[in-house]
Amino acid sequence: MILTLLSHQWKAFWRSRSASKNLAAQIFIGFIILYLLGCALFLGLSLRYFLPNIFPGQDVITVFCGLILYYFLVDILMRFLVQELPVLSVQPYLGQNIRRRQLVRFLNVRSLFHFLNLLPLFIFIPFIVSVIGAAHGPRVAACFAISILALTLFNHFLVLYIKRKTIVNSWWLVGFLAAVGILIALDYFHILSFRSLSTSLFTLLIRSPLLSIGFVALAVASFINNSRFLRHNLYFEEIARRGRQRQTTEYAWLQQWGLTGELVALNLRLVLRNKRAKTVALMSFVILLYGFIFYKPEFLKSDHSPMILMGALFITGVFIMNYGQFLFAWHSSYFDGLMSLPVNIPTFIRSQFVLFIAVSTFSFVVTSFYGLISWTIIPIEFAAYLYNIGINSVIVIYFATRSYKGIDLSKSATFNYQGTGMAQWLNIIAVLLAPLLLYAALSWIFNKWVGIAILGSLGLVSLLLQNWWVGLLTGQFLLRKHTILAGFREK
Amino acid sequence: MITVNNIIKAYNGNIVVNIPQLIARQGEMVGLVGNNGAGKTTFFRLLLDLVRADKGEVVSNDKNVATTEDWKKYTAAYLDEGFLINYLTPEEYFYFVGTLNNRSRNNVDEFLKHFDSFFDGSILRSGKYIRDLSKGNQFKVGIAACLLQEPQVLILDEPFANLDPSSQLRLIKMLKEWQARYPMTVFISSHDINHITDVCSRILLMEKGRIIKDFDTTADTLQELESYFKV
Repeated sequence: MILTLLSHQWKAFWRSRSASKNLAAQIFIGFIILYLLGCALFLGLSLRYFLPNIFPGQDVITVFCGLILYYFLVDILMRFLVQELPVLSVQPYLGQNIRRRQLVRFLNVRSLFHFLNLLPLFIFIPFIVSVIGAAHGPRVAACFAISILALTLFNHFLVLYIKRKTIVNSWWLVGFLAAVGILIALDYFHILSFRSLSTSLFTLLIRSPLLSIGFVALAVASFINNSRFLRHNLYFEEIARRGRQRQTTEYAWLQQWGLTGELVALNLRLVLRNKRAKTVALMSFVILLYGFIFYKPEFLKSDHSPMILMGALFITGVFIMNYGQFLFAWHSSYFDGLMSLPVNIPTFIRSQFVLFIAVSTFSFVVTSFYGLISWTIIPIEFAAYLYNIGINSVIVIYFATRSYKGIDLSKSATFNYQGTGMAQWLNIIAVLLAPLLLYAALSWIFNKWVGIAILGSLGLVSLLLQNWWVGLLTGQFLLRKHTILAGFREK
Repeated sequence: MITVNNIIKAYNGNIVVNIPQLIARQGEMVGLVGNNGAGKTTFFRLLLDLVRADKGEVVSNDKNVATTEDWKKYTAAYLDEGFLINYLTPEEYFYFVGTLNNRSRNNVDEFLKHFDSFFDGSILRSGKYIRDLSKGNQFKVGIAACLLQEPQVLILDEPFANLDPSSQLRLIKMLKEWQARYPMTVFISSHDINHITDVCSRILLMEKGRIIKDFDTTADTLQELESYFKV
């Protein structure tokens, strides 16, 4: 039975519309995963050479033992971010003559197919086999490997359980984050040393390998706990996020702008109430911190000003790039309706410009504190800001009119390339590479400040021409309206 | 009001809509019946310029719907859930549609009072986003949003399919009353031939993209349709 259900999942994966249409993106993700696994394997194989370099004069195995618990602490956080709950996949089977127990088992097995479960094997097993196995014999190595596997599974089912609990009650999320935070803080302030704990635990394991039974017991307990919870809560409305009270919200300050304001409000609600859009917006916030990576004093002194410019373009324009590339696709689930309402296209496009300018301005103002690192960052960022709202926003909307793939708003955004096509890749090249090349050319011919000034003025001029752009983009949109509509209708 | 000239729409060589000539006057309630795949929904999409016609045109108030957008001001439609912005609450959606038609918040609230019995207490202030409503309730939101636009042309695809029996009857009553006050050109498709002969003054019978019968509703219409659909 489980095999039949798993084969359905396999079919669902390959036959989903986004998969067949998006072969290139699938291959791309495949490569990324292969690359990460390759890195993990490389790390695993070379740990025995790395560790003595980083911790000279210490026993390799002791150092290794000290790091294991850190890994699993990071692992649990990572899992919390990226691990999905395979819930919806059982929905069609709930009405069939299949035992609950089997469905639960299926959900558990299905969830195991995750790349985070492979990662520890790739990192730890090579070391365990080649170093621990050589030093203490195969029996110890096997027990060690079993313990690592058991810890992986313990984390796996624990996170599934906690995530399911957070859906029912958000306090679980707070509790979980607080617990992890406290652990990290305890370690950071040397109140409780993870490292010494981990070292003593795993060196003990080497001395008495039968301790691995304890880890296996932990894993089994975590598994049983999760299964029991699932078995008692296998009602769709309970595991899926449902039944919460929703509030009607008003953005009174936007109403004075008439239809444009109303459309901006629509976009705000879109971002706040849908998983994928929300993730994109949050990402834009996180990227504001990229200044600490891009705006390095050594880049400022030396001739690395393109790095600074790239950072500035990214920071002030990431929302435009990320959100704007799916400008129409965000609305794909109701685009039929939108196109039969009296929303006129120029106003729709203008509302997007307003949104872009608002968010970009916000990013610019907030990140102007980077000026504390060096005042030269501010003019560069200002030029990038003007370029983004003046020129990049136009380019992004232009490419959005060439994107015919819809988006399912409820899906999460990590590793989600639904709706991504050729247009998106071209878009990113045009948006990031073009200004950098232009700047490089200008600073080579004149100097870097002339380059910055010209970039900024181009943006400003283009911004003043916005009405003209709106007309042009409207024309582009109307040309392809029916293709877009047809593409969005194919869910 | 609406004129269809020689319109043809094909997908991969299969003709799904092929209508040489059709005129619907103001105040006419036109019912479309036909089995699945007869082309009713595609025809509605053509009326709304949501799909591009391979040939021919739809003319609304002397203007081709594919070249102007003026028709949007007096046309309202609800074909499926794809017409609702599903992450808004019903109120927010009504206010949005209201703004598009220059109605204030109060005006919309006032207007929605007409729908109290139709909504049956499960739409307004329900504390749900539209996506969490049942299909029938979503439909109710859709039709109320249509009427909120005070349209001259109204297009509804299978309005009776997801409604409970009393809501079906309320909808029929509402459409008739509305029609008596503001004459609209209404297109309704349905598989329920009882209801459709009750509401509509004119019935189009579609088969494989063609209109094979076009007649005014009389006492015999129901029988005639029953004999067509008999297996």
